[in-house]
Amino acid sequence: MANYYDVDDIITEEENISVIFQKAVNGVGIDPGSEKNCVEQGSKVELPFWLASELCLRNTVVAQVPACFDEKTRLEVQADPACVDLRSRSPYFYEFGCKVAPVTGDRTIGFLLFSAFKSRYKEVLTKAHTAANVANPKFLSRLTKEEVHLYEAAQSSMAAFKKWRKGGPRLQPASVLRMKRKSTN
Amino acid sequence: MYGRKACQLVKEFATSEKEQLKTFNDDLFDQVIKECGSHNLGFQSLVRKMQDEGLDTQTARNGDFYGALIHHLSLVRNKRCLMAYMYNRAEVIRGLRWKLGRVLPEEIVKKLSNSEKDYLKGYSGALETYMNDMNLELTVDMVPPKDPYIKVRVLEDIGEVLLTDKSANLARHSMHFLKRTDAEPYISQGLMEELLS
Repeated sequence: MANYYDVDDIITEEENISVIFQKAVNGVGIDPGSEKNCVEQGSKVELPFWLASELCLRNTVVAQVPACFDEKTRLEVQADPACVDLRSRSPYFYEFGCKVAPVTGDRTIGFLLFSAFKSRYKEVLTKAHTAANVANPKFLSRLTKEEVHLYEAAQSSMAAFKKWRKGGPRLQPASVLRMKRKSTN
Repeated sequence: MYGRKACQLVKEFATSEKEQLKTFNDDLFDQVIKECGSHNLGFQSLVRKMQDEGLDTQTARNGDFYGALIHHLSLVRNKRCLMAYMYNRAEVIRGLRWKLGRVLPEEIVKKLSNSEKDYLKGYSGALETYMNDMNLELTVDMVPPKDPYIKVRVLEDIGEVLLTDKSANLARHSMHFLKRTDAEPYISQGLMEELLS
């Protein structure tokens, strides 16, 4: 598993998802609603995704589509994908959606993610290439982590291209001095 | 419990900037390990309960089984979070060794745990043995320079130093015309700066 040590993957899997227990469970205090240390059959609990998906595999629970992929988000994405604040839904919107889709059996999530990403990708790249050194905080606060990575990659490649064209100072002092300034912080 | 503290540890690592380390969070790390202990106890007691009732733990699927399953999954999750924390920190440390050389600045060293300090020493030793055997200096700049000599200004007092072709007194604010390979380790540690004229 290439993602075992991946920090983003671990945090994505911590997102909560609502499940309904199909079987009763003893000896675990995971349901805040029950007084005893157990979960009743048919009770609805919010579990982290890593637990919910494993229990789904063993048919212990049935997972429901999380709130970040609800009707409201779908309508907003249809209307104008570039302006939708996906980070408030979930900073790992796309990764979480990809994981949730097979677990809940919802086939429309894929289309939602694809259309949202397609439109926003164009927006991210144009903003990254034109904004140059000025970071646009309002725009960035609407992007998910993956989109922010894309934005930063585009900006750094733009900066590298400009530096190459300018023919600036040799490689050695730049990267090393920046490292020094970083390490003294 | 149930992986929340462990995820907190990973999130703390994620919030630090790229290639920067925060102080090793001994406290949270130990708390997660304690939680693993309590999950283990819960697991053992449920399994014992099933065995006392005469059920076969491999095939029986009752409430106790699912409880034990959840404890087991929490343990595996805690393990993953702890390992990811250590692994990613080790990766940063290796990167620092390549960028800054054998002696890391004091601010960085005090953020490392004891085992990380040992790891750095071992890694550094292995790298140096390899470089000595190959007779190659691998940690220098990858881009071939246009000029083998560069002009530098010394930023901090280093004193009398023996370089490849001569010995020089590297006093503060003095300027020298040194070979790139000699100057590079000092520049990367921030003790000198290159003069571009």
